[in-house]
Amino acid sequence: MTARTSALRRSGRVLLYVVMIAAAAGIMLPFAWMVISSLKLNNQVFTAPVQWIPDPVQWRNYLDIWAKADMVTWVRNTLVLSVAVTFLQVLTGSFAAYGFAKMRFPGRDALFLLYVGTIAVPWQSYMIPQFQMLSGWGLNNTLWAIMLLQAFGAFGVFLMKQYYESIPDSLSEAARIDGLSEYGIWWRIIMPLSVPALASLTIITFVQTWNDYLGPLIYLRDRELWTIQLGLQSFIGEYNAEHALIMTGSVLSVLPIALIFFLGQRYFVEGIATTGVKG
Amino acid sequence: MTTPVVGDQRTLGFSRPELPPPLRNPRASLKLRNALVGWTFILPNFLGFAVLTLVPVFTLFYLSLTSWNIFGTAEWVGLDNFTRLLGDKSFHIALGNTFYYAALHIPITIVVSLSLALLLNQKLRGAAFFRTVAFFPYITSIVAVAVVWNMLFSPEFGPINQFLGLFVDGDLPGWTVSKDWAMPAVIIVGTWKDMGYYMLLFLAGLQTVPGELHEAARIDGANAWQRFWNVTLPCLRPTMFFVTVMVTIQSFKVFDLILVMTDGGPGQATLVLSQYIYQKGFEQFEFGYASAVAVVLFLICILVTVVQFLYNKRKEA
Amino acid sequence: MNRKIMSAVGVAAAASLALTGCGGETAPEAAEGPVNITLAGWDFASTPEFQTLADAYTEANPDVTIELKEYPAGEDYDTALTADLAAGTAPDVFIVKNLKNYVTFQEGGTLLDISDVAAELDPATGGLEPMAVDGKTYAVPYRQDTWLLYYNKALFEKAGVDLPDGSWTWDDYADAAETLTKDIGEKQVTGTYLHSWQSTVQGFALAQTEGASLDGGDFSYLAPFYERELAMQDNGSQPSYATVTTNELTYQAQFGTQKAAMLPMGSWYIGTLVAEQASGAADTFEWGIAPIPQLDESTTGTENTPVSFGDPTTMGINAGIDESKIDAAKDFLKFAAGPEGAAALAEIGITPALIDDAVADAIFGLEGVPQDDLSRFSYTTHETLPENPVGQNTAAIQTILGETHSAIMSESTPVDEAITEAEERVANEVG
Repeated sequence: MTARTSALRRSGRVLLYVVMIAAAAGIMLPFAWMVISSLKLNNQVFTAPVQWIPDPVQWRNYLDIWAKADMVTWVRNTLVLSVAVTFLQVLTGSFAAYGFAKMRFPGRDALFLLYVGTIAVPWQSYMIPQFQMLSGWGLNNTLWAIMLLQAFGAFGVFLMKQYYESIPDSLSEAARIDGLSEYGIWWRIIMPLSVPALASLTIITFVQTWNDYLGPLIYLRDRELWTIQLGLQSFIGEYNAEHALIMTGSVLSVLPIALIFFLGQRYFVEGIATTGVKG
Repeated sequence: MTTPVVGDQRTLGFSRPELPPPLRNPRASLKLRNALVGWTFILPNFLGFAVLTLVPVFTLFYLSLTSWNIFGTAEWVGLDNFTRLLGDKSFHIALGNTFYYAALHIPITIVVSLSLALLLNQKLRGAAFFRTVAFFPYITSIVAVAVVWNMLFSPEFGPINQFLGLFVDGDLPGWTVSKDWAMPAVIIVGTWKDMGYYMLLFLAGLQTVPGELHEAARIDGANAWQRFWNVTLPCLRPTMFFVTVMVTIQSFKVFDLILVMTDGGPGQATLVLSQYIYQKGFEQFEFGYASAVAVVLFLICILVTVVQFLYNKRKEA
Repeated sequence: MNRKIMSAVGVAAAASLALTGCGGETAPEAAEGPVNITLAGWDFASTPEFQTLADAYTEANPDVTIELKEYPAGEDYDTALTADLAAGTAPDVFIVKNLKNYVTFQEGGTLLDISDVAAELDPATGGLEPMAVDGKTYAVPYRQDTWLLYYNKALFEKAGVDLPDGSWTWDDYADAAETLTKDIGEKQVTGTYLHSWQSTVQGFALAQTEGASLDGGDFSYLAPFYERELAMQDNGSQPSYATVTTNELTYQAQFGTQKAAMLPMGSWYIGTLVAEQASGAADTFEWGIAPIPQLDESTTGTENTPVSFGDPTTMGINAGIDESKIDAAKDFLKFAAGPEGAAALAEIGITPALIDDAVADAIFGLEGVPQDDLSRFSYTTHETLPENPVGQNTAAIQTILGETHSAIMSESTPVDEAITEAEERVANEVG
């Protein structure tokens, strides 16, 4: 009887894997199409019906994009922005979230709702007043503008606050009795316990800044300041578009993020128990 | 009144023994101290937030009461923009479509991404690979996403209809080029694109569910569903609240996806509020009016959020 | 480069030298010192026209430097420029790219009155006259494309269909497309290709129908044009709108790789097709240009002037420009929209607003451009009406008509119903 259950269980497992691999293939289809298109001639990218095998295979797109375009500059700018924004967002966001989650004071909930409320306002509806303000400070056409714009969003505060709330208060109480200040509790107790949330916030902020288009479009003019997304868009001219090169650039732009995500795996699923309490 | 020194509450209590207890009792100063410490946490983020986001957002609220073509000065018109919204059919269509999208996208996305998170939180061989795969739609360029899905949905040449054709005789859905099917198509793609993102947030939340509780429930004879319902879900409440609020707001604000997939068409079949704001603002230069639409969108979101907030509070208490 | 172009450069340079030699009342002032003017354009890598104009001008006026400010192409140009205009950070001279935004820019006080520049331009300059708002002009056209019919000679011969001879009405065109599709007999090759833009139907309907107007509130003139296009996509003469949009087909690929025997498209495609055939991105085949088909026979034939549409691309001066630069900026505009600018643009295959024989010679001197008489006739002889007539409500009406276009072409809504709906919406929402 135990043999039968384990056989059943095994075939269930196999089935699960078959389903998951099929689903994974489906999910990766658009990415596969990007890769295929990046190996085509430009006029072959959009056809009806779809041409799934490039003929001839254009490996040179992967050389051209570095030669024809300023990909190095774009990658550098995008990297600078993504790292700076992520650093500021994670640091100030997780810090502020502690105030919202673990401290009680009047007006806290109202202030928090104000934070969340701004998420509900579409950016394109207030980007012009914002642009006028930042231009007034002379920050248009600088990378600073994008950093400021993205670094203090409400999203990080909200995410971290909710996570902190699921950490039992007993832990910080104990530390408080031991004489640790609130800042000490945040740094030594809460932060080490929040690795999965910090990892999520980091990757999400990073991806958002990496893929942002409208922000750089409004603020950045000089070619030396272009980001990857802005640069790739420049392959779409007035009457012509380099679709194959756009897809080449998109593949190159996705890979580093996928790699970071894959390597950062264990931090997303690092449980409280395995981290332990430091200090 | 002197400014109280932030410090140990016992010192404060001792140094002012003559003050009447109700005003200056240790609890009151603890509250004050707490507020001050709380603010020091919030302040670094709040400064940036207030200047860079709140100021423009308040400007937007002001602009919704004006007529402004973006270049000249804004002219005060009171509530005119809002009365005009009442009779604006396109606005009503956009509002209806936005609710249509949200009503389906919110529950489906939550269920799918939570299921994914539960599945991929297990010790599976290759879980790291599958998690990365699930996250891929979120990082893939939205243009590529739109292009590929549009091709898949292509009524004549698309694989989806070729597949459906094997089972269905007669008319197949026209998907993104059909009035009735464009919105379902967009919702499918929206869910597909967002699931990895919310899966990630759920995954983080799942790490806070203590393993011992699960063990205890298992020993008590609870089955998988009961364990999920009675152990996982209650522990996940803060994350659930966060995800629900975010999915709600993002669904009401949906923009990019629709812009690249259908551009609101065919006709106005997938015109949503965010796109209407953009259309009125940047295509027709009616920024005052566009701001009024944004305010309505904001009010809808905030109303839903407050309801969720209060519900969450009650559950917590 | 071929010899004709080189000589054209010489002529242009000589002409501009002569012009500065004559001087004007502004000459002494301009001589005071170097002036730097900033110019907004887009996507310089694939759009050389701005650099060309700047170079040609500074060669003739060494005291002035034209500094180019790059913006993104497409709709994004307007978004980014709008932000800069709102914040007061826009360049001295900018392109008013979409004619439908012209009135808004003007009413917003972003454009300087340059009626004096307009007065000195050749009245034959395409699209100049309609730019006047209450008798004043705020932007001048420097290029003006027009819509033509491109055809693939090889595919016509294969199907045994007579080449277009300039006598075609839209019905002749539809018949030819049907015959071509049938007689070419290849699965993925169609008689013609209609791109997804609303202008490919509405632009012609507005330009060619007697009494049609964009803001008159009556759109019944669109109906016959839509009926014809729907019939054509139903009988397979062209890929359906659904396929064009969902498979994101490009007209360059469809015509350039011989998947369509005909293509109604703007004159900008001449330069593109020549370049793509030279680079191998497009197949090598013989092609020609014919006048765009007409609504009825009153305007067909080479003894008449065919009616087509096309918006001019115009240039204006930022109202916030430094006082001391105004004269130089105006002089640059006069140059760009005048014969010297036209010659410089023609050399790089761009259709200027002012088409004279020198321009036609330069364009048809480019290698790979068809040499037959009809092609030259089509390029030089046409009455081109704007797609977006200058008007207060043009932008709002075009948004509504764009939605009408997708509703009809996707066959979601019957023609008459969609048109009635558009009329109601314009009455209800616009103005």
